[in-house]
Amino acid sequence: MKTQKKVLACAAALVISLANIAAIAQQTIDRTAVPPSGPTPVLRVPTWTKTQLANGATLIVSERHSLPLVSFTITFLGGSNQFEPEGKRGVASMTASMLSEGTATKTGDQLSDALQLLGTGISSGVGGEEGSLGFVSTTQNFEATLAILADEMLNSTFPAAALERLRGRTLVNLTQAKDQPVVVGAQVFNKILYGNAHPYGQRTTETSVKAITRDDVMAFAKAYYQPGRSIVTVAGDITPLKAKAAVEKGLAAWAKAGDKPSFDYPKLPELQPAKIYLVDKPGAAQSVFNIGLPGPPRNTPDYFALQVLNTILGGQFQSRLNANIREQKGYSYGVNSNFGYGKGPGPFRAGGSIVSAKTDAALVEFMKELKGIVGEKPITDEELKTAKDSLIQGLPQRFASVSAISNAITSLVTQGLPDDYYQQYAKNVSAVTKEDVLRVAKRYIDLNHLAIVIVGDRSEVEAGLKATGIAPITYIDIEGNPAGN
Amino acid sequence: MINKRRVLSAVAVVQTIALTISLSVPLLGQRKSPASDSIKIPFETYKLSNGLTVILSEDHTTPTVAVDIWYHVGSKNEMPGRTGFAHLFEHVMFTGSGHVPYGLHDKLTEGIGGGNNGSTNNDRTNYYETIPSNYLESALWLESDRMGFLLDKLDIAKLNAQRDVVKNERRQSYDNQPYGRVSEIFSAAMYPKDHPYSWPVIGSMTDLSAASEEDVKAFFRLYYAPNNATLAVVGDFDPKQTKAWIQKYFSDLPQGKALERPKVALGKLDASKRLVYEDRVQVPRLYIQWPTVGFKHDDDYALSVMSSILSGPRTARLTKALVYDTQMASQIGAFQNSAEDVGVFQVVVIPRPEHSLTELEGAVDQVIQKFISEGPTVEELQKAKSGLELGFIRGLESNLGKANQLISGAMFYGNPNQFGTDYQKTLAVTAADVKRVASQYLTRSRIVLSVVPKGKKDQASKATESEAVTVVVGKRRGGRS
Repeated sequence: MKTQKKVLACAAALVISLANIAAIAQQTIDRTAVPPSGPTPVLRVPTWTKTQLANGATLIVSERHSLPLVSFTITFLGGSNQFEPEGKRGVASMTASMLSEGTATKTGDQLSDALQLLGTGISSGVGGEEGSLGFVSTTQNFEATLAILADEMLNSTFPAAALERLRGRTLVNLTQAKDQPVVVGAQVFNKILYGNAHPYGQRTTETSVKAITRDDVMAFAKAYYQPGRSIVTVAGDITPLKAKAAVEKGLAAWAKAGDKPSFDYPKLPELQPAKIYLVDKPGAAQSVFNIGLPGPPRNTPDYFALQVLNTILGGQFQSRLNANIREQKGYSYGVNSNFGYGKGPGPFRAGGSIVSAKTDAALVEFMKELKGIVGEKPITDEELKTAKDSLIQGLPQRFASVSAISNAITSLVTQGLPDDYYQQYAKNVSAVTKEDVLRVAKRYIDLNHLAIVIVGDRSEVEAGLKATGIAPITYIDIEGNPAGN
Repeated sequence: MINKRRVLSAVAVVQTIALTISLSVPLLGQRKSPASDSIKIPFETYKLSNGLTVILSEDHTTPTVAVDIWYHVGSKNEMPGRTGFAHLFEHVMFTGSGHVPYGLHDKLTEGIGGGNNGSTNNDRTNYYETIPSNYLESALWLESDRMGFLLDKLDIAKLNAQRDVVKNERRQSYDNQPYGRVSEIFSAAMYPKDHPYSWPVIGSMTDLSAASEEDVKAFFRLYYAPNNATLAVVGDFDPKQTKAWIQKYFSDLPQGKALERPKVALGKLDASKRLVYEDRVQVPRLYIQWPTVGFKHDDDYALSVMSSILSGPRTARLTKALVYDTQMASQIGAFQNSAEDVGVFQVVVIPRPEHSLTELEGAVDQVIQKFISEGPTVEELQKAKSGLELGFIRGLESNLGKANQLISGAMFYGNPNQFGTDYQKTLAVTAADVKRVASQYLTRSRIVLSVVPKGKKDQASKATESEAVTVVVGKRRGGRS
């Protein structure tokens, strides 16, 4: 038995007595047995209130008083895909940045100083299908921060000089992005899958950024930041009553306007027979892989089966792809797969960065795992169970912080999911069978029509890729255009 | 997150620390914030007889718990010729141990909705599990098994696979990354040869190839003993039961040899250096570094506050002057990057196309000269500290974040409550303190590094005075692999 314990805490006596008990237990400790888990904790999904403001916005309030924090977010349905005019890709993000450049009563510097003194900042962004404005503040500074957010949203003056500065910065960012193989790979992949006519294939370019005028920015702001398509979410150390009063006061000038956009997308380009699209990056130490094709939208009835499928294939560290290509073969620091669900046909994608010398060998392994999941290597009971356990028991993590709670609740509205989605989640995941997984794998991972996009050093990888015989090679440039042979 | 088992550079660690300590003072004339009572993390701590420090902190907000272990060993403990070893070893810690077959660790973490990872920096290596609270016992069992029985089942094939994985990590995060070699160029230029901070945490390809099974065994025996580790359990757990489990799984692991911690000299340059590095980039960048102090030195507080006054928000000195007023720069950053023994203050500038790095260096110097002579205003100081409280409270939302704070204090200061001291000392920084550290450190000999496109050395700041960095640094022995 060990004596002379150095006990620093006040619980000295308790610790020593426990030590004695445990010392006896130690004689019989069997390290070979995996300690059993305790009873599954009861799922505690945050509750919330949902009301309609007079201006048409939806107000959601969820209370959590454990810390003096409030998360505030306005989420706008629809994004650059719905609201950007032809040829003006980038105007949505530009407008989001311009909101903080000055209002009718404050300069950009004054807005910034005021936020610094409140110890927080306002985040502002517009993505493909939704946008947001928001902050996390201390409870005490909530209303003062909300007042600044409202001023930026409603009274921005969009100074012309600020637009030129932001344009200059954006152009530098676009130039730098060309040097990043991972960014190039993702952009080219989208362009191959969706083409120029589909918003999912479009992106901000030098040409589109140069075409944006101050009028474009002002028109976008006016059309976009409207309550009729908004969800105002307040989560944290505040009651629904106080939150509603604060929002009605802070956003009093936000007049009823706007409605929910439709998410109609053009038809997808016709699927092409499987092809390797090789982007030459001389001197690259690795080849960046993106393999996939357009997939289902978020509202697919196959969602839960697809989640289980992806967890087995490439959603986790011990998923098939990473277990093979990283852990067994050592070809990569990490590979994965995912379904990019949206309102439209977001992509299925598998990929990662592969050491140049193993580019061909890795492609063989990627294809082996994709063939495996569509039937050649049936999923086991254990894989199915682990995937489901992982999805179901990971749920509490989604409510770990006030901003996480805000996201978890708001996403139900933006994705059109029922209020009891989280309560029903375990049931829905549990219902997935091995047959379901195989069915959705065959349906959505169409091996005959995969786009295999590889950004790497052509001189080092081309011969090996050809020798695999997996698919013919097409050469493209970093913009995704044909590069000749 | 799939790219687990990451290397964490000193820079990354310090930025985390800077985020939590570098920012806030209650506003003058504002009522005292009730939140200022929130600068606390309730905890208890004790030591097992084998020297393992234990910290427990309950938080029942969500039914989850974090198990976090730090070992006081990092890349600075490596021998020249074996750079990158501490981090490679971190990967080996995930390949199974005496009673835990490979793969079970992931199954008992991500397989039940949780997560796990490890990270290595210059000073320490950490391992953690974030799990539903009903899996706490198995997480403690997993950590105790690799602390006590890693070598029982050391698998050479797995070591070799992880060696390849780490080389790919190096390729992905440094070699195939624009500007990715900057940190190792600076480490080699800032410190004398064989100084413990002179090589990168990720190590060199040659050294990674050279690491042997015997190296793994010796390293484990020396550094992975309970007396060189601190364990924290934070979240939804029963303290009595948890203490019993910790006793059960950890108390019979043998104590290791007492470790000698070598005294590490601060960085000091006899003369300023100008370097130019050609990279596969289109946009050049300018970096300036001054040697400063590590995070245990009191000047670290004022240096961190100074970084917030110089860059960040649009009214910060360098940002306002270069990005907003003259618009010579697209972006600019200034950081105090501190580790346990050493630190640097760094400025990085991304130019707008019409402006040369020489111009930018001049403009940075002008702003800094003015700052040194006048010091910060009261309002600047106030703004720099105003985010501190919110940052701290937001940190309390994460079990793992709290565990890291508590362990960091225990490991480096012998005081889990160090975060409170850091907070108070940051609040106490005065304008005079900032003015003094500005004139003390930013007037020292420094390193100016220009990263330019291939074949464009003439784009370097003061190109004719700049020395080309031709050898890939960090490869301290042998050639390129």
